[in-house]
Amino acid sequence: MHYIVRQLGFYLTAFLIAISFNFMLPRLMPGDPLDALFSATQGRMDETQMAAIREMYGFMDGSIIEQYLAYLYSIISLDLGPSVLMFPVSVTQVIGQALPWTIFLALGSLIVALIIGISIGTYASYHRSGFFGQVVPPVLAFISNFPYVVTALILFYIFGVQLDILPISYTYDPDLTPGFHWDFILSVIKHAILPMGSMILVGVATWVFNMRNAMINVLGEDYITMAEAKGLSSTRVMTRYAGRNAILPVATAIAMAIGFSFAGSILTEVVFNYQGLGNVLLKGIVARDYPLIQAILLILVVAVLTANFIADLVYVWLDPRISK
Amino acid sequence: MSEVLLEINNLCVDYVLPNGIARAVNNVSLSIKKGETLGLAGESGCGKSTLAFSISNLHKAPALISEGEILFQGQDVLKMRPKTLKAYRWNNVSVVFQSAMNSLNPVISIAEQLTDVIRAHTKASAKDAELRAIELLEIVGIHKERLHSFPYQLSGGMRQRVVIAIALALEPELIIMDEPTTALDVVVEREILNQLYELKQTFGFSILFISHDLSLMAEIADRIGVMYAGNLIELGLAKEVFHHPIHPYTKGLVSSFPSIHGPKETLYGIPGSPLNLLDKPQGCDFQARCPDCHHKCQQEVPRLSSDTPDRLVACHNL
Repeated sequence: MHYIVRQLGFYLTAFLIAISFNFMLPRLMPGDPLDALFSATQGRMDETQMAAIREMYGFMDGSIIEQYLAYLYSIISLDLGPSVLMFPVSVTQVIGQALPWTIFLALGSLIVALIIGISIGTYASYHRSGFFGQVVPPVLAFISNFPYVVTALILFYIFGVQLDILPISYTYDPDLTPGFHWDFILSVIKHAILPMGSMILVGVATWVFNMRNAMINVLGEDYITMAEAKGLSSTRVMTRYAGRNAILPVATAIAMAIGFSFAGSILTEVVFNYQGLGNVLLKGIVARDYPLIQAILLILVVAVLTANFIADLVYVWLDPRISK
Repeated sequence: MSEVLLEINNLCVDYVLPNGIARAVNNVSLSIKKGETLGLAGESGCGKSTLAFSISNLHKAPALISEGEILFQGQDVLKMRPKTLKAYRWNNVSVVFQSAMNSLNPVISIAEQLTDVIRAHTKASAKDAELRAIELLEIVGIHKERLHSFPYQLSGGMRQRVVIAIALALEPELIIMDEPTTALDVVVEREILNQLYELKQTFGFSILFISHDLSLMAEIADRIGVMYAGNLIELGLAKEVFHHPIHPYTKGLVSSFPSIHGPKETLYGIPGSPLNLLDKPQGCDFQARCPDCHHKCQQEVPRLSSDTPDRLVACHNL
């Protein structure tokens, strides 16, 4: 219990530091988006217009501390002002539409890759002298060594263009109205197959090898020999005695991978024109939509910290020695 | 006492290594009688643990049982089908491994490590298995409150007791003890051995006790076998082997340990270092370290032979 409280304190501190950086960074840069806007109009805007726009976008005057407090309040109240790019839609609204898709894409593919990868890694290392253990890991290493974009484009070309059996754009068929009905759910699944599949294909090998390395260490332990001498079933020795212990070092890697999976989904969303946060972020950067960029970075920070905290909780449950 | 429980005939175990084949157990034959404690002695790497592993057929690559048979109550362990082998393991032969620190899984509770073996071999319900687990812990002198502890919450001696409790779970006919007390201090070692002796009186199982400590073995074992470089070189009644060793290696081994009870004596070691199994000489394996090595020892491998029916020695200098 002490451990969890301590970790919670750590993550809250990390969150405060991260959002403070998020606050300072744009202010350290010369100028602001309005200056960019001003230069884009080639000086045809006068000072009062500029001030009005500035206020509308929430760039307020006052001391740095006042600004910081206002910034904190805007985060707590989730009122992050309007987006420059999609004015007058609020940043919260823009993100609210894109975020669920990214969570679905990033976490969905990570979870599937984990389940497949850890299962293969466990089985392949326990039966490492057999056909499966000899053949599957090298094949996966081969596949995963392609850069992600190449794999994604190959899938895109084969299934999306040549065979034309899977959609290559959007999160669901735009003709459908979103809701809990079969047509919509099927359409979402169909649209997710290629982007998710490509991420899974590239990600799965990492988990196979992570798990296999951990397993091979564990399989040399005396308690594995003892479990076998006890006449327990191979499945039980493989999962409960070996896999259970091998998952501990892998769990740490999973916690870190959650953050990366959000970053990784940016590229996927661009390749498959998937309407998630990555796509929005890219558009925001091109348009210098500072409020939007800031908010997305904030979301990423929160996502990574939350994921790590959950991973810590899971770790306590996995390894009883930790909580001491 | 005379009924044979386990019979090992001409057992050979090889380690298949990239730079050759190392024969860790070379043509060993011995038997364990019902209710008997057989001690197996020898230095590190002499093949005593490898031999013990064979009895439960636990070897995995690169180890390979290349020859021989292991008959448990007449049934060849090495020819058992996987299902029969699983049932045979622990039901008939259980193992107490070298160090209890490592033979208990650190993240599984004592309760589960006790009950899973019971439930794997019997039709006991979860509740019955747990009652049996409590009973077993009490047999080895651990309070039942400890049932749901994890190994890291117990001391070294308690962990070794837990391992012994697990070994007793199915009341096997034979318990293999591979240096069960090496990791413990002498006081705890003594406690556990005394307890073991009492348990043996109660349950009547046989013990294959593996150790390099001959003086300890002379106390607890009925017979002692001594191994060197994979060969069984001397076998006889415990007191005989310990007090009147015949093979020069056994003599060296006996004089390497201080006597607990007797007068002060100078300790003599065995000169040289263990044999490289990948580079065995012609003739006797012990020749390079033997004080009485002569021409025949460099030519011919000595066979186990006996003067008296109870004593076997593999040496040309009989």
